[in-house]
Amino acid sequence: MSPLKETNWQKVLHFLENNTVPVLFLVICAIGIPLSGYSASYLAQEVVVRISRNAFLIIALLIPIMAGMGLNFGMTLGAMAGQIGLILISDWGIVGIPGMVLAMIISTPISMLLGWGCGKLLNMAKGREMVTSYIIAFFMNGVYQLVVLYIMGTKFLPIRSSSLVLPRGYGIRNTVNLIGIRKSLDNLLAVKVFGISLPLATFAVIALLCIFVVWFRRTKLGQDMLAVGQDMEVARDAGIRVEHTRIVSIVISTVLAGYGMVIYLSNIGTLNTYNSHSQIGMFSVAALLVGGASVSKANIGNVFLGVTLFHLMFIVSPMAGKNLIGQAQLGEYFRVFVSYGVITMSLVLYEVRKRREKSRVGRELAAGQTAEEA
Amino acid sequence: MNMKERILHFVHSFGWPRIIIGLFLLLLFIAAPIVGVKVSTSLSDTLIRFGMNSVMVLAMVPMIHSGCGLNFGLPVGIIAGLLGGTLSLQLNFTGGLSFFMAIVLATPFAVLFGWAYGVLLNKVKGGEMMIATYVGFSIVSFMCMMWLLLPYSNPTMVWGYTGSGLRTTISTEGYYYHVLNDFLQIKIGSHLVIPTGMILFFALLAFLMWAFLHTKTGTAMTAVGSNPVFARASGINVDRTRILSVIMSTWLGAVGILVYQQSFGFIQLYMGPFYMAMPAVSAILIGGASVNKASITNVIVGTFLFQGIVTMTPSVMNSAIHTDMSEVIRIIVSNGMILYALTRKSEATR
Amino acid sequence: MDKVHISRKIWIRLAVIVAILLVAVLMFLIGKQHTILLDNKTLEFGGETYKAFSIVEVQVDKEEQLELAARDRDKAVVTGQRHSITVLYMDANYEEIEKTWKFSVPLGEDMLLLSVPALVGGAEPAIWLTHYEPPVAAAAPVSEEVVVTEDAALLGDF
Repeated sequence: MSPLKETNWQKVLHFLENNTVPVLFLVICAIGIPLSGYSASYLAQEVVVRISRNAFLIIALLIPIMAGMGLNFGMTLGAMAGQIGLILISDWGIVGIPGMVLAMIISTPISMLLGWGCGKLLNMAKGREMVTSYIIAFFMNGVYQLVVLYIMGTKFLPIRSSSLVLPRGYGIRNTVNLIGIRKSLDNLLAVKVFGISLPLATFAVIALLCIFVVWFRRTKLGQDMLAVGQDMEVARDAGIRVEHTRIVSIVISTVLAGYGMVIYLSNIGTLNTYNSHSQIGMFSVAALLVGGASVSKANIGNVFLGVTLFHLMFIVSPMAGKNLIGQAQLGEYFRVFVSYGVITMSLVLYEVRKRREKSRVGRELAAGQTAEEA
Repeated sequence: MNMKERILHFVHSFGWPRIIIGLFLLLLFIAAPIVGVKVSTSLSDTLIRFGMNSVMVLAMVPMIHSGCGLNFGLPVGIIAGLLGGTLSLQLNFTGGLSFFMAIVLATPFAVLFGWAYGVLLNKVKGGEMMIATYVGFSIVSFMCMMWLLLPYSNPTMVWGYTGSGLRTTISTEGYYYHVLNDFLQIKIGSHLVIPTGMILFFALLAFLMWAFLHTKTGTAMTAVGSNPVFARASGINVDRTRILSVIMSTWLGAVGILVYQQSFGFIQLYMGPFYMAMPAVSAILIGGASVNKASITNVIVGTFLFQGIVTMTPSVMNSAIHTDMSEVIRIIVSNGMILYALTRKSEATR
Repeated sequence: MDKVHISRKIWIRLAVIVAILLVAVLMFLIGKQHTILLDNKTLEFGGETYKAFSIVEVQVDKEEQLELAARDRDKAVVTGQRHSITVLYMDANYEEIEKTWKFSVPLGEDMLLLSVPALVGGAEPAIWLTHYEPPVAAAAPVSEEVVVTEDAALLGDF
């Protein structure tokens, strides 16, 4: 079908076609950065902070993609579990790294339970996993509010420190000050390079997770997931417990999301009890897609490229909007539009390519058949 | 089948979640007078909210029939309606004419947007619902930028300070406020108000939809949704029919938001329409529809049940246990219903 | 029927869970923050009177040195269970003495009262280190904090 040697022009076109979203974002950043007027060192520092804050969460999205479950919007459930862990350690007065570790340990069984439930529901909605995980996140938001706003602080789930509880006597406040664990991990080993502060301890943790993901791919479970992601029926014929593997992928993702949320919040220092988790799902997915990942294929390179590009766009938009049109508000709306637009575009491109693949395979099969019959 | 088997069969086909929701609503209505909430006021409120939302729920029907799934992209139609409404206000039409012109002005937008949206959905058969959701979000956030930039000038609509850029909420008072509600309004006693005009308007649209579904094009649409292979074999242009269903759905969404606004009293711009698809989707599912089957009855029953719960829960709960849990209950009920529908096995082949 | 064996897999899983629980407990112990109120007030207990010093310097762990006049109270915020306290005072012979004591915070406490006179006077730890209950201020009716839950804007930084 293709000539033996592609011309350079064809190569460029091919590259652009396969990497539309990251290239588009590169263009946006290339225009937006000079427009915003921010200095390179400011932007570099901001990007470093964002990477250290968000990379863990975004890496959590890789496992379900391996297993063919698409973009796991259900990572919000893990974020909720992490938040509950943080509320509890704040109440008990545990600070620093021990506080973060304890919060993660508390979040683990909650994440496992929620992830298991989510996985079971997704197995009942095969073919519609993404929409279903999206709705599950909304649904669990309601359950989370039920627990945190109405049950916590009452005799069913007592909270000792009154600074956490709403004035009416029960329910957790809108914002929880996480001063105890604020920047604990970041400051553990902060190094200044060229005027930019690098949180080495956090990077080390992220690096460990990356190594885990790479190692996981090679384990039997990881290979099973890849097989399930490729073709469920073929995997089933090969003796793999397809439903169980799918559920495990969601459980792992949810647990990792919980840990990632603890790291994220320790960097920010404040917990927005009722809003933090809902934003995080959307933004993490968007960042991953910007890095060039698709619904069925994502690797660690996508994660870091995506965080960098997405956050650059996010940071420069308001200022660029102000300098261009005179309204910073316009820049803010612009970045929201771009965030949603990029997800839309990625989803559309993925579906279009999938159908093109199917029809190409179909045509090749048909051609093979007619060749046989001839 | 004896009585027990019949009941079991009914329960099984109706679905447990719906029965639970129906009983819950009944419970609320029974509890209302006990805790001091006037049933007549509640009924009145429920009817008003029924009218407000019914057309948007009706908008779900064409796309479900044609196999495009649940229209999470309803905001596309809503935006068309907002454009029509704001233009009507900009051109200073008032009263009933204002409402009529809003629909007229929204229609070309609805047809254009619906067509583009339909073409897009045709390219992504199999993944419509997820993409619909994000198309809806994208267009709402895109319009956020537009509302700031478009050259509207009517002083009741723009920010007083700068004189340009639309306000977040614009009052419809003086324009098409309550145009339908007050038309042929029936007042029973001092508390029960029936917004006859609005309900008649919905009935008209519902009847037109029902009639359409029985025409040749309408049955073709249903065929496309339930068995696309058979439909194509019968010579029906599947893609064209799907686009038509999307245009219809978008137009109904536009009209729906205008009906909503004339009762509510405000035009909500910017992020207002963001999540507006969800209540409509869960309403029709509560009414008995599934991802690929919906009837007018589903629309009526579903909207009434959903709006009934949304109206009654806060007032009854507040009077009973002095806590307002209505927001949380609404989230759990509406999303739970959508979740239930998504996890059923679909009958149509994709 | 075969005898049911507890497989190795289950043993390993149980061991991991126990290990994690132990880590959790360890985290709790080394991470718990306490507020220690340092009192320089005259304390009477069990017949003994421990007089307050006119001036005394106190240092908890490696924190900053705190100066307490008579009837003064200051606080030190510490993390963990084991601490040391160094007191610099003048005894009855007008000699400056500096002494260090080591002590352990009882489990699960948030706030403690440490009486410096009693400590220097040689009393039992149970006497100079006591649980402290902060007085609950009469809550003035605060306006209801509106819990914002619908978040469609997504315009916030993240």
